[in-house]
Amino acid sequence: MSWHGIRTVAALELRQRVRTSKWPVVLGIWVAVIALVAFLAYYATNDEQLRSGEAMYDVVVFFVLGLAMLIVPSLTATSVNGDREHGVLATLQTTLLTHWDIVLGKLVAAWALSMAFLVSALPFMAWAFFEGGVSFGRILLSLLVLVLVLAVICTVGLMFSTLTARPIASAVLTYLAMGALVFGTTIGFALSAFLVTDKEQQTVFGIPDNWYDTHQPPNVDPSDPTLTQEQIDQLMKAGQPTRADCTTFTRTTDVAHTERIWWMLPLNPFVVVADAAPSKPRPPQRNEVSTSAGFTPMRWISGGARLARNGPGGVSDECWVDEASSSSNQDPIEKALGTAPVWPYGLAFLLLAGTGAATVAGRRLRTPVRRLPNGTRIA
Amino acid sequence: MTIEVQGVRRAFGDVLAVDSISLTANPGEVTALIGPNGSGKTTLLLMLATLLVPDQGAIRIDGLDPVTQPTEVRARIGWMPDGFGTWDALTVREVLLTVAAAYRIAPDRARTRTDALLATVHLEDLADRRARVLSRGQKQRLGLARALINDPSVLLLDEPASGLDPRSRIELRDVLRGLAAQGKTVLVSSHILTELQEVADRAVIVARGRSLETQRLDDEHALTATASWRIDSLDLEGLTAWLADHHVPARRVGGGLTEVEVAGEENAARLLADLVRDGIRVTGYARSQGALESAYLAATEDRR
Repeated sequence: MSWHGIRTVAALELRQRVRTSKWPVVLGIWVAVIALVAFLAYYATNDEQLRSGEAMYDVVVFFVLGLAMLIVPSLTATSVNGDREHGVLATLQTTLLTHWDIVLGKLVAAWALSMAFLVSALPFMAWAFFEGGVSFGRILLSLLVLVLVLAVICTVGLMFSTLTARPIASAVLTYLAMGALVFGTTIGFALSAFLVTDKEQQTVFGIPDNWYDTHQPPNVDPSDPTLTQEQIDQLMKAGQPTRADCTTFTRTTDVAHTERIWWMLPLNPFVVVADAAPSKPRPPQRNEVSTSAGFTPMRWISGGARLARNGPGGVSDECWVDEASSSSNQDPIEKALGTAPVWPYGLAFLLLAGTGAATVAGRRLRTPVRRLPNGTRIA
Repeated sequence: MTIEVQGVRRAFGDVLAVDSISLTANPGEVTALIGPNGSGKTTLLLMLATLLVPDQGAIRIDGLDPVTQPTEVRARIGWMPDGFGTWDALTVREVLLTVAAAYRIAPDRARTRTDALLATVHLEDLADRRARVLSRGQKQRLGLARALINDPSVLLLDEPASGLDPRSRIELRDVLRGLAAQGKTVLVSSHILTELQEVADRAVIVARGRSLETQRLDDEHALTATASWRIDSLDLEGLTAWLADHHVPARRVGGGLTEVEVAGEENAARLLADLVRDGIRVTGYARSQGALESAYLAATEDRR
């Protein structure tokens, strides 16, 4: 393996790509679609209550990732078996290039092309940045994670193209793998949630169930003409529990131990990208009840994943009375966002998978071949 | 730079592609590998080209084992596959420069080498055209140039003449003879026996994955080997009677021709002289098939 060899293969790949396919056209459509999405996101979220920059950023980043997951596999998913079909792989294998030169050269070329797509989406991320609400560090972090995730997708595609004889098969397998990562993990998590749900004793801080038995609401007739509106309100309030009525008690209830299955969530590239840089909660502004207003999908995903990881531990705070004065009564997602992130696990898994895929691809290109898989031809 | 193959065997699943092939190809010689389709020629060349591991047997190229020392072997060989595929989007010159880079040839040396090879295979005019526009024969010529780019001492050519026009074939013959004259080992597989007859020094005949025999094809051999000669005569009855009288084995073939088996050119010339002396009116007297053809047909006869 040598830098010279990798560069030779990468230059060959890039030169072919740029000349044969309609990359300028594809890139043009890509930019147009992202621009359209960015504009729509801007208008849809351009509202006093919503935070335009944040929402725009989330939408654009997710769209870039989603579209890239559709386009990037096509860069590598046919690259080895396609070369075999054209009878040009063996002519490289009989030169002084090693199998690692060929694998890494092809990877570098595909990755560089996927970077072209990412770079062309940068202006729209910059737009979201200038809309406000997104920190520069956050953009850098989500870009870094995107770059790594795209590299992993390239590698998975390359691996499948070394494993199957026909390009169509490897393309399908690559898209299936992408689908498993995105939808499979989510569906798997949702379905296995039933498996980890048990009837359990749970400690609850809240209004005991028997509170309402002992505190009969006063028998007030709102249409009684002898009472003023003020008096009616007062009487009604006396029948409602206050924070002082909350006690700690235990109760048997369904508890989902998501902390046993949370690891499925960060395998999803979308969760990794979202959790790496969720938006910061904005300080509450005037006339606002909750701080979690605004369309911020990345924050929801990130908070949800962390919430699942934390599980139903500790005391369940259900003292939902007198909201405005309650300090501990926080949005659970908000609370979860304060805990440790899950994306390092997801990214570590993806990088491990990428390394594994590259290793398999390298082994499959090693010559001389002892065992030739069914249907593959050597030259 | 000798190629030595000893009892090599290779199966793909339950298909036995090469059963047992042994051969020796010497430097300075062109060795032909001939045999019917599916006789294992291409598989043998893939093993020689360091792409496949033989199941059994041993291969030595210049004393090196392609299985354990593939890099060293690759530096010494040039391989031209059957049905050479090429990077269609690249120009002819770029194809050769890319392969040169893959052999770690310095850029300036690669350029001079590329220009020289393009001249050798007569592709200078097309040097800056995309490889896609090349015809089959032109692609074959590019494949030959590709195989020669690292100045290999051992050349493995799989059906190099297929798709070539007559002029290109003659030129290929000259190129191969030139390479052999430089002391290189040339192993060429082909179906076109008449072509090989003129270019090869020896022929290895393979059928059903086995090497059947090695035949020398040089002049000395032509002088002594048995060959078939066809005689055309105005006097068919007289000719048949004469041949029967003189105990010359003969048989009728189509078009009023008679075919005889004669050992060596000396005897063939004497037979013609005798026929003419005895007043048989001969109008044609020619080799019906080359020595190689006879050997090939004899060796692969059981296929019929």
